[in-house]
Amino acid sequence: MSGKFLAFGAAVVAASFALAACGSDSSKTVAGSTGGTTSTSASSGGGATIASKLLLGGPPEFKTRVDGVPGLEKNYGVVFSGYKVLDTGGPVTVGALKNGQVDAADLFTTDPAIAANNFVILDDPKSNFAAQNVLPLINKAKATDGVKKILNGVSAKLTTDGLGELLTKVQNDKKDPDAVAKQWLVDQGLNTTGTEASGVKLTVGSANFPESVILAEIYAEALKAQGASISTKLNIGSREKYIPGLKDGSIDLIPEYSGTILQYLDPKATATSPDDVYTALQSAVPSNLTVLDKSAAQDSDAIVVTKATADKYGLKSIADLAKTQ
Amino acid sequence: MIGNVITWLNDPAHWRDTRLMTGIPSQLEAHIRYCAIALAIAVVIALPIGLLLGHTRKGTWLVTLANAVRALPTVGVLVLLVVLISPHFTGRTDTGYLIPTEIVLILLAIPPILSNTVAGVQNVEPAVRDAAVGMGMTGSEVLRKVELPCSLPLIFSGFRSATLQVIATATIASYVPLNGLGRFIYDGLAQQDFPQMIGGGVLVAALALVADLLLGLVQRYVVSPGISGRFSKKVVAAAGPITADVVQAEVATV
Repeated sequence: MSGKFLAFGAAVVAASFALAACGSDSSKTVAGSTGGTTSTSASSGGGATIASKLLLGGPPEFKTRVDGVPGLEKNYGVVFSGYKVLDTGGPVTVGALKNGQVDAADLFTTDPAIAANNFVILDDPKSNFAAQNVLPLINKAKATDGVKKILNGVSAKLTTDGLGELLTKVQNDKKDPDAVAKQWLVDQGLNTTGTEASGVKLTVGSANFPESVILAEIYAEALKAQGASISTKLNIGSREKYIPGLKDGSIDLIPEYSGTILQYLDPKATATSPDDVYTALQSAVPSNLTVLDKSAAQDSDAIVVTKATADKYGLKSIADLAKTQ
Repeated sequence: MIGNVITWLNDPAHWRDTRLMTGIPSQLEAHIRYCAIALAIAVVIALPIGLLLGHTRKGTWLVTLANAVRALPTVGVLVLLVVLISPHFTGRTDTGYLIPTEIVLILLAIPPILSNTVAGVQNVEPAVRDAAVGMGMTGSEVLRKVELPCSLPLIFSGFRSATLQVIATATIASYVPLNGLGRFIYDGLAQQDFPQMIGGGVLVAALALVADLLLGLVQRYVVSPGISGRFSKKVVAAAGPITADVVQAEVATV
């Protein structure tokens, strides 16, 4: 009997060795299958570019999206050694970048994980990624001069880093979006009470993700302080759900991102720079709606690398990846 | 749509590895590898335990426990394990994703193998077992020479259903960033490339069918004809009258 147990134990040990071996083996196959043509692409480029030594990771559709891998190749001549499918700016992508499963990743610019892990966002001077400035989309009838002044005042103070900090407070520190919004207005000196918007009745909506909720709360609180009577419809859902609401007047105001709302309203739009997108958007919005001033805050895709990688290759912008070393 | 799927499957570009795309053969190989590892380990764990439990007729609560494990939501366990395990592996390695995936697949494969093995051994005819003991066989001899061969058909059916489940479920390897045929399903969905998505599904189904067919073939040769009742017609015909004679003889002696 003991002999049988011994054999069983030996078999388990052998199996676990096999698993460990396959583990390292599979990593080789992945590197081999994705990076198999590394040498050829590098040599055909006339000298190894920095990108040809790096593995990019991100969501599945980034591989085929116009502003994804094809866009990076077209706009910057950046050809990575391969592409590893991860998730859409989620924990898998952050973990894979942190632990070195990939060298560069597609994340969103306001992701709190970027600051938390000292990741470096590479600049996008050629606007490969369409501008995604935060701006209020509002019903024309409700956009009185007072309301415009208040919301433009908010937009003037919003920055990408600031938005990231707000998101950290809600997502990581689990604070109430409403309290975070109020505190931000106090910090920015926008909490002064007045009568600029008195007599205006507004329904403020938001999409169903934390950043949109925080922005809606900021708009709502700023307008409330100036005498507007506000009701909120937060976490409505995707554009397919709330844009009809804006059209029929059941929602009056919602925070939007210039690039994606333009793409939604006009699928053929090609503008990518902040100003071009903003101009195109003004003519694309439905007749009863309008967009107010865009803020400097952007939540767009970005190519992100670790601090160590950035330092090693001297990376500041996506264009640097195409340099030969 | 069906035409598009066939076009996708026939496109030679999808059968090659390129810098950005891993082709069908490589993904198929990865898929089979994940499944084979999980099934091998599951057999090594479940078969000896099952034989022992069936032979001793003790500890059947283990079978109940294993069956209860089936209720675990696979994707949930997978994500939990990835969060726990993957940070321990740094560098260009998939081990941190492979171990959670294999654990999940092993948990899925053990219950059918274990419960079928136990049931198979327990349901060996008592007369056969008594005869073996009467011939002077020790406990382990009875298990190895009588109970195991007699329960092989049930053990095989357990293994075959485990194989089917594992092949179908191994697609979730692509949910954590691994390869395998699930890659086509997930990527096709995200890229709204539905021929790719359905093509991936067709490949998984085809793999499952082929695997079951092969195992059926193996079973045919491994299981004794005396157990499976697969005598040639001639033998059955010859056996008929003989048994009848024996019965008559027995009746006569009584």
